[in-house]
Amino acid sequence: MNAELKLFALGTAGVTLVLAALLVTVYGAETGRVLQALAARTPLLLSGSPDFSRFEGGFAANIVISIWAMMIAAVAGTALGIGMISQSLLVRAPSVLLMNVLRNSPWLVVLYAMLYLLPFEIEAFGTIFSFSPVIKAIIGLALPVTANIAEVFRGGVEAVPTGQWESARSLGYRRLQILRRVVVPQAIQFMTPNLMTTYAMLFIGTSLVVVTGANDILSVARTVIASDGAHYATAIYLYVLFLFFLFCFPIAILTRWLEQRVRVRQ
Amino acid sequence: MTLDFSWLFDPLYQTWLLRGVGTTILLSLLGMVLMFVIGIAGAALLHLKVRFLQSPVTIFVELFRNTPPLVQLFFLYFMLSEIGLTLTDPVTGGRIPLFTGFTCVVLSLGLYNGAIAVEIIRSGLLAVPAQTVEGARSLGYSRLQTFRHVELPIGLRMSIPPMTSNIVSLIKTSSQAVLVAVADIMYGATQIMLETFRNLEVMLLIWVIYLVIASLAVLVVRRIAAAFRIPGYGS
Repeated sequence: MNAELKLFALGTAGVTLVLAALLVTVYGAETGRVLQALAARTPLLLSGSPDFSRFEGGFAANIVISIWAMMIAAVAGTALGIGMISQSLLVRAPSVLLMNVLRNSPWLVVLYAMLYLLPFEIEAFGTIFSFSPVIKAIIGLALPVTANIAEVFRGGVEAVPTGQWESARSLGYRRLQILRRVVVPQAIQFMTPNLMTTYAMLFIGTSLVVVTGANDILSVARTVIASDGAHYATAIYLYVLFLFFLFCFPIAILTRWLEQRVRVRQ
Repeated sequence: MTLDFSWLFDPLYQTWLLRGVGTTILLSLLGMVLMFVIGIAGAALLHLKVRFLQSPVTIFVELFRNTPPLVQLFFLYFMLSEIGLTLTDPVTGGRIPLFTGFTCVVLSLGLYNGAIAVEIIRSGLLAVPAQTVEGARSLGYSRLQTFRHVELPIGLRMSIPPMTSNIVSLIKTSSQAVLVAVADIMYGATQIMLETFRNLEVMLLIWVIYLVIASLAVLVVRRIAAAFRIPGYGS
C-alpha cells in the first residue's frame, strides 16, 4: 500500500496545486472574490439544493445515476458475458456481436438515442411507468457499460485454469453450476480491479447526462453560470473538475492496489 | 412505430452528414497525433526517470485520466476565451480567436486520451524483455540510444492492443465536439433533427456511422500492427 499511498498524496496535492494555480492565473487579484462565490454555490453544486436539504441534483445526482447504471449493467453484463462463453454458436455469435456494437458506440450517441427511443411512459402490469430524464440517462449509460462488464466477465472466467472446468465436470456439475460454484468465485479476484475501473469510467461518463436534461452537476453548473455571469465559467468548471477528480482518483488508487495484490498472490 | 428514412435522399442533408463525417475524422486524426506526442513524451520521461519531471508528469496523467473529458473541454473552451488569446488574420486584418471550438476539442481529446496513452506506452515499455535491453547496453548503446532504437520500437508494438481501444475511445469521445458547436457529424445530425423531427432515425443512423468509423479504425490499426510486427515480440 505504501507506493499507492505515496502516489495518492502526490496526486491529490499536485492536482489541487495545479488547479489552484490555474485559478489564480485566470482571475489574478479577483481570486478571493471568485472563491467566495464558489463557496456560496457549493451546496447547490453538490446536492442540487441551496442548503443541503435534499440530495436530488448536482453531484449527488451523478453518484445516484452512476450507482443505478452500474447495478443494471452488472446484471445485464454478466448475462451477456455468460452468452459470450456459451458453447452454442447460436448464443455466442449474437452475444459477441452485441458486445462489440455496444462497446464501439459513443456514449453520447447512445444517450441521445435512448432519449428518443424510450417512450415517455409505458403501461405494464396495470401500472404506468414513466421514463423521466434520469431513468433514460441511467439506461443510456448502462448499455455501453454492459459491454464493458461482459468483457471483464469473460476475461475473468478465462483467467481461471481450464483444469478447474474439467475436474468440476468429472464431478458431475453442469456448465452453469460450474460457472456459479467453481469458476466465478475464483475469477472474482481478477474481475474486481477491472470492475472498479469500469465504474470509474462510468462515473466520468455521467458528465454526459447533461444532454438528457437530468439535473446533474453540469446542468447545475450551467444554471449557476447563467445566473452569476459567464465571468465565473472558468472557476466553476475548475471546481467541477476538482470534484470529479476527488471522487475518481481514490478509486483509481484502490484499483491499482488491488491489482498489485492479485499479482503478488499468484 | 415505423422508421422513416426518406429524408436521407435529400442532397442537402447528405452534404451535411458527409461534411460532418469529414470533420469527425479530421478531429480524431489530429487528436490521435497529439495523443501519441503526449503519450510517448510522458512515457519516456517516466521510463527514463528524468529527475524533477517525473512528479509533474504523474500529476498531469492523474488529473486528466480521472476527470471527464467533457468538463475538460468546457474548461478549456471557457478558460481560453476568458484569457482571450487572439491572432490577427493576415487577410482580413480582423481579430480571430487563437483557440476555436475545433482547437479546444482536439486539445481535450489529445490531453484525455494522451494521459491514458502515457500509462499504456509505459506498461508496453516495461514489457520489453530485460535481456533485449541488456543486450543493447552490452553492444555499447547509451541509455538514450537504447531507449530510442530498442525499447521504444518494441514497447510501442507491445502496447498495440490497449492502444487500439484507446483510439476507439478517442473516436467515440470526439462526438462531444457538438457541445461546443463544432460542425462534426453529431452537429449535422442535430441540424437534420431540427428540420425533419425524425430524431430517432437520425440518431440510429449516426450510431451506425460511428460504429463503421470505429470498426474501420480497428481494421487499420490491425493492418499496421501486422505490417510492423517483429517475430518473437508480442502476438
